[in-house]
Amino acid sequence: MLSEEPGVPVITVSNLWFSYPERPNVLRDVSLTVLPGERVGLIGPNGSGKTTLFLQVSGILKPSAGKIVVFGMPVVNGDFRSDMGMVLQNPDDQLFCPSVRDDVAFGPRNMGLSEDEIDARVTEALSIVDALELADRPPHHLSEGEKRMVAIAGVLAMRPRLLIYDEPSANLDIRSRRRLIRLLHASTETILIASHDLELVLEVCQRVVLIDDGRIIADGNPRDVMGNDRLMEAHGQEKPHSLLPHRFPHGKSLE
Amino acid sequence: MKLELDEYVHLESPLHRWDPRYKLAGLMALILAFSFVRDLRMLLPMVAATATVYLVSRLPLSFMLRRLRYPSIFVLAAVLILPFLAGQTIVLSIGPFDVRQEGLLAVLLIVTRFLCILTIGLILFGTTPFLTSIKAMRALGLPAILADMLLLSFRYLHEIGNDLQRMQTSMTLRGFHRHRLSPRGLRILAWLGGSILVRSYEQSEWVYKAMILRGYGHEPHPRDEFRACSRDVVALSVFLSTAVAFVAADVLWRYGPAALPW
Amino acid sequence: MHIPDGILPIPITAGGYAATAAATWYSVRKIEQQENPRRHVPKASLLTAAFFVVSWIHIPVPPTSVHLVLNGLLGALLGYFAFPAILIGLFFQAVMFQHGGLTTLGINAVIMGLPAIVAHYVFRMRRLGNHDSRTRTAVFGFFSGAVALGISVAMFVAILLGNLPADFDPAIERAAVYTLAVAHVPLIAIEGVITALLTTFLRRVQPELLDDV
Repeated sequence: MLSEEPGVPVITVSNLWFSYPERPNVLRDVSLTVLPGERVGLIGPNGSGKTTLFLQVSGILKPSAGKIVVFGMPVVNGDFRSDMGMVLQNPDDQLFCPSVRDDVAFGPRNMGLSEDEIDARVTEALSIVDALELADRPPHHLSEGEKRMVAIAGVLAMRPRLLIYDEPSANLDIRSRRRLIRLLHASTETILIASHDLELVLEVCQRVVLIDDGRIIADGNPRDVMGNDRLMEAHGQEKPHSLLPHRFPHGKSLE
Repeated sequence: MKLELDEYVHLESPLHRWDPRYKLAGLMALILAFSFVRDLRMLLPMVAATATVYLVSRLPLSFMLRRLRYPSIFVLAAVLILPFLAGQTIVLSIGPFDVRQEGLLAVLLIVTRFLCILTIGLILFGTTPFLTSIKAMRALGLPAILADMLLLSFRYLHEIGNDLQRMQTSMTLRGFHRHRLSPRGLRILAWLGGSILVRSYEQSEWVYKAMILRGYGHEPHPRDEFRACSRDVVALSVFLSTAVAFVAADVLWRYGPAALPW
Repeated sequence: MHIPDGILPIPITAGGYAATAAATWYSVRKIEQQENPRRHVPKASLLTAAFFVVSWIHIPVPPTSVHLVLNGLLGALLGYFAFPAILIGLFFQAVMFQHGGLTTLGINAVIMGLPAIVAHYVFRMRRLGNHDSRTRTAVFGFFSGAVALGISVAMFVAILLGNLPADFDPAIERAAVYTLAVAHVPLIAIEGVITALLTTFLRRVQPELLDDV
C-alpha cells in the first residue's frame, strides 16, 4: 500500500554532522536520500555511526549540524512521529510493559486511538509477526526470537510508513532469522536496515550503503558494493558468502 | 528466581471477579480493621472472617502455607521472646525461664493479627494480576509517575536479577569464594553491585529512547478501564460494614457501650 | 528493618501513612516541576529495581551473611526519586515476599526513606569547597551509608520497642535496646564501607550517576 508519490523522497539527510560529548564527529557530512519503497541496507564496522545515524533520523538525537526531512516534514528532536518506527538492537530495551499485549498497545495508545482501534491494531500487528498466541505473556518469558518479533509488532502497530531496523537478526536462531527475512520480504513500507548479517542484507535489500568512521563510503547495488573485495576489506567487511564461489564440496551422504 | 505472584490469578471465584478497585478498597479496609483490634475476644471472629474469605477465593491452601513460610520466622521470634520478657504476671515456670501472662497474650494478639492480615493481603494480590492491581491503584488516585515507576521496576526486576545470577556464576567459575570475608572480597562484591547499577543505568537510557520513539509523554488522559456493576458495590459494602463492625465490637468490648459515638 | 503487620497500633501506622503520603506528594511535585519529568522515570525505575537486586547480594559476615540495605546510596543517587523508590521497593517486598507489611508500608517507608534523604544531603556535602577527589567521595560515601542505616536502626528500635502491646520491665527494655544497638554497629560499619566502595567505583566507571538528579 504505497501511499507516497513515487519520486518524492521519504528521507532526505543533508550534510549531517554529529558529535557526542565524549566522542567528536561520529557522523561527518552525511547526506542520503531514500525513495519510497526502497529497502536500504546500512553496513559498516562497529562504531561507524550506523546506530547514531538512525537515532538522528528518528528524532531521538539532535544533529550538531545539517538537516533531516522525513515525509516532507523536518525531523524535530522531541516530536512523536508515528509515521516512522525504529526497532532497537536489544529487544529487552523496548519491551518495557508487563505483557506483550500492553507493549504492542503502547504506541497506538499514545496516538490517541480508541480502545477498539487499539485492540484491532494489536491483533493485526501480532498476526503479521505470527506471535498472536504470545499476547498475554510477560516479556521475560519469551525467547530471543519471540522478543524480537514482539518488538517489531510494537512498532508495526503504529502503522509507520518508514521502518528502521538496527541489527534485527542479532542473537536469532536460524529459524527465527528466516522468519524475520520472510517478514522483511513481505513488507511494503520503506525500510532501512543496519546489519552485520550481510547475507540478510543481500537477500532483502536492493540498495546498500557502506559507512565507516562517520562517512558514507559507497552507495549502490548490493552486489556491486558488497562484491567489491578491496572496498569491503578496506572497511572491515568481508564479501558475503553468497558472492563467493563454493569452496567445500558438500551434500554427499556420510559414508 | 521466583518472582511470580500471578500463579492463581486466573481461577474463577467471586473474589477473582470483583472489580479490582473495589476489591482493593474493601480488603484494605478489612486489613485496617484487623490492625485496630486489641481485644482478645475479637481474635476468633477475625480468624473466622479470614478463613471465610480465603474459602470464597478458591485459592489453594498450599499457596497460603508456602507464602507464610518465610514470614513465620518472625512469628517464631515473637513466640520465643515476648512471653519470657514482657509483663509481670508469671503464670508458668519452665526451668529457669518464667512465662509471663502479658507476654503470652501479646504474642497471641500479634501472631493472630499478623497471620490474618497477611492472608487477606495474599488474597488481594493473589486474585488480581499485578498489572491490574497497579491500574486499580492508578484509578484510585496513585500519581501517574509512581504507577509508571512501579510497572517499569517490576518489569526489569527479572532482567536485572538474571544479570546478577549470571555475573555471580562467572565469578564462581573464576574461583571467587562467596562465603569468605576479606577486604578484597568486600571490594569485589561492591564492584559486583556497582556493575549492576551501572548496567541498569545504561539500559535505562535505551528504555527511555524506546519509550519516546513510541510516544511516551504524549499519552492522552488515562482511560477508564474498569466498569463496576452493582454486585461489586454490594461486595464493597459488605466488607466495609464488616470492617466497621470489627472496630465497633472491639471498642465495645474494651471500653463498654459508653465509648461508642452513637 | 521492616516492621511486619500486626504489631503496631493504628495511630502509628496511620501516622506513618500520613508522613509517607506527604513525602511522596512532595517528591512527585518536585519531579513534575522539572523541565522534562519523564526523562528520569526510566532511570529511577531501573535503579530502583537494581537496588532491590543488589540488596540480595550476600555479604559474608561469619558465621552467617547479611544483606545490605543501601538506603544511603539510594538517597545519594536518586535525589527526589529516593522516597518513591524506597516506597516501591517496600511495596514489592510486602507483596512478593511477604517481608514487611501492608499496614506498615507507611511507617517502614519513613524509617528507610527519611534517612535516605538525609544521606543525600550528607553526600552532597562532599563538594563543599569545590574539591572533588576520590578520598572525599569515599569518606562522604561512607558517612552517607553509615548515617542512613544508623538513623534507620534507631527509628526501628524506638518505634518497635515503644509500641509493643505489652509492658517490658524497664531494665529488660534497656537491655534490649543496648543489645540491638550493639549488634547493629558492625552492620552499620559494613554498610558504610560498602557504600564508600560503591561510590568510588561509580566515580571511576560512571560518574554521571553521582550527579544530582
